Amino acid sequence: MLMRIGFRNVLRQKRRSVLTVLTMFGGFTLAAISIGWSDGTYSNIIEMFTRDRLGHIQVHHEGYLDRPSLYKTIDDSEAVGAIISDIEGVEQWTPRVFSSGLASAGEKSAGVQIIGIDPSRESATTHFDKKIISGRTFSTEAAREVVLGQGLGEILKVSPGDSVVIVSQGADGSIANDIYVLVGLVDAGDKMTNQTAFYLHLHDAQELLVLEGRVHEIAIVAEDLKEVVELAEVIQGKIADPKLVVEPWQVFARAFYQAMKADQQGTWIMLLLIMLVVAVGVLNTVLMTVLERTREFGVLRAVGTAPSQIIRLVIFEITVMAIIGIILGCGASYLVNYWLSIEGVALPTAFTYGGMEYDRMFTEINARSFYIPALTVLFSAMLVSIFPAIKAARIAPARAMRIR
Amino acid sequence: MNVQNNNSVILTENVTKEYHDNGVAVHALNGISMSIERGEFTAIVGPSGSGKTTFLNIISGLDRLTQGKTWLAGKLLSEMSGRELSDFRRDHIGFIFQAYNLIPVLTVEENVEYIMLLQGVPKTERRERVHGVLEQVGLEGYADRLPTRLSGGQQQRVAVARAIVSRPALVLADEPTANLDSHTAVGLIEMMRDLNQESGMTFLFSTHDVRIMERARRLIVLEDGRIARDEIQAAAAGRQA
Repeated sequence: MLMRIGFRNVLRQKRRSVLTVLTMFGGFTLAAISIGWSDGTYSNIIEMFTRDRLGHIQVHHEGYLDRPSLYKTIDDSEAVGAIISDIEGVEQWTPRVFSSGLASAGEKSAGVQIIGIDPSRESATTHFDKKIISGRTFSTEAAREVVLGQGLGEILKVSPGDSVVIVSQGADGSIANDIYVLVGLVDAGDKMTNQTAFYLHLHDAQELLVLEGRVHEIAIVAEDLKEVVELAEVIQGKIADPKLVVEPWQVFARAFYQAMKADQQGTWIMLLLIMLVVAVGVLNTVLMTVLERTREFGVLRAVGTAPSQIIRLVIFEITVMAIIGIILGCGASYLVNYWLSIEGVALPTAFTYGGMEYDRMFTEINARSFYIPALTVLFSAMLVSIFPAIKAARIAPARAMRIR
Repeated sequence: MNVQNNNSVILTENVTKEYHDNGVAVHALNGISMSIERGEFTAIVGPSGSGKTTFLNIISGLDRLTQGKTWLAGKLLSEMSGRELSDFRRDHIGFIFQAYNLIPVLTVEENVEYIMLLQGVPKTERRERVHGVLEQVGLEGYADRLPTRLSGGQQQRVAVARAIVSRPALVLADEPTANLDSHTAVGLIEMMRDLNQESGMTFLFSTHDVRIMERARRLIVLEDGRIARDEIQAAAAGRQA
């Protein structure tokens, strides 16, 4: 019966109920879109940073990331790769070799980072072929070809078809040097990498550095970005080699991850502000309800309604309005987020990353963008109802019934 | 504390109520001691401000007294917590207010049913009793109406139905006819007197209405918060007998 009274009271004060529901609906929708936008943007950026370059998960020899060394290698990369391929949730993997050297072309020379890649795997994993801005990517088989970062190409003043000499150190202690034909220039994603990236076919790099069959890194792309931490643990378990360390991007790109997390705090502050607006709107409604119905609450108390039942009645009425606001908000925010996830939002200034131009950011539809606003609206509505509800429950019946 | 071996529904001992109005102490009740027996049809009368409504509020636990003691159905009210008083009112007192005070969003049937629902009376019994009592007060066929679609007299009949449906020990009626026209008022008074005679339910009125005074078996006159007169009306008693 108290629920019936609650429902009918919501319907009785139609205008006020509609305004309250609209406040909650507005708060929910803003919050849901804001979370969808925030998550979508971060996913976009994380995808750019990891998927197009670093990978979601990396495998290294123990200690390699802290102190990189030519000798800290994954000795049987094909075998490790085969294990990784069989793990559910792994989309692609690609091996890499790293070293430093001095590149020269004609009168020009520059310090470079040699990066040996498997062209097919790298393209499948990080879209390497799409980053070529001039010339072409590697031939499938090793053919003494080199691809340079576009900045390095400018430093060395070379273009596809020119020869480039590299000098480095082999793993056997010998001086490693060779000459390669420049086949393409690549936008590696950032200025520093563009000015130092010296890409070789994996087999050419292994031959140059005397690293037969060995690599320094295996980069893995997961099917689901949100599952990388768990997936890294699974891979670590399957590889079962204590000398190899499997880490998700949150660990090997710790600084980036922490910067992202700090940035996301801003979203919570905005959410808090939205909820504050909702809470104020709801509080106004509940206070008015209690004030206007003082006499009714007095009668309910007089005929034997327990104080706890009055509290439940007031909170129930607000909860009914909150649920209606949430249901409407779910529908509206789903439509808006869906549309923005397809159409995106145009950025004021487009930017290029990894050879790809980004002129739009997209929202994301996920469970968070529904349950966080829903819980927040419900919680804040119920929270601000408690004090007026207690006030209603403590009404002195005799005094309340004197109010006209 | 229980008052044993007593036929009193209400027993008061030196009840005093004092409140402050703009810093001035007002003595609404000044040491009222009295007893109301089961089955009485009693009217408390007196000029405005004599303490009639305050007295009703005190004996029903709607208001707290300043001094003295009140027993209702053998229970000392001052020993009860707010929750216990709620439960006690629910189970032992029926209220009829001057302004009807029906719950506006509930239908006639639901208003009458409400107290039994709080008492946990099973649904079938609730419905039977509601229909029985609506018939008693002449409102059969009005069960699904909201109070706003009833006349004042009809609303007060619903209030009477609500007050008696749970078969309380005491029905308190505060100026029940004040907002009704003469014809409706007489009909309502007669109906309550019939209920009193048929079921033995105790009725206590606070009233200015001469028609209630004429029909009351006992008349308690309050003046300045004191009992000025307390008398059995032979004519009314005779009619009742």
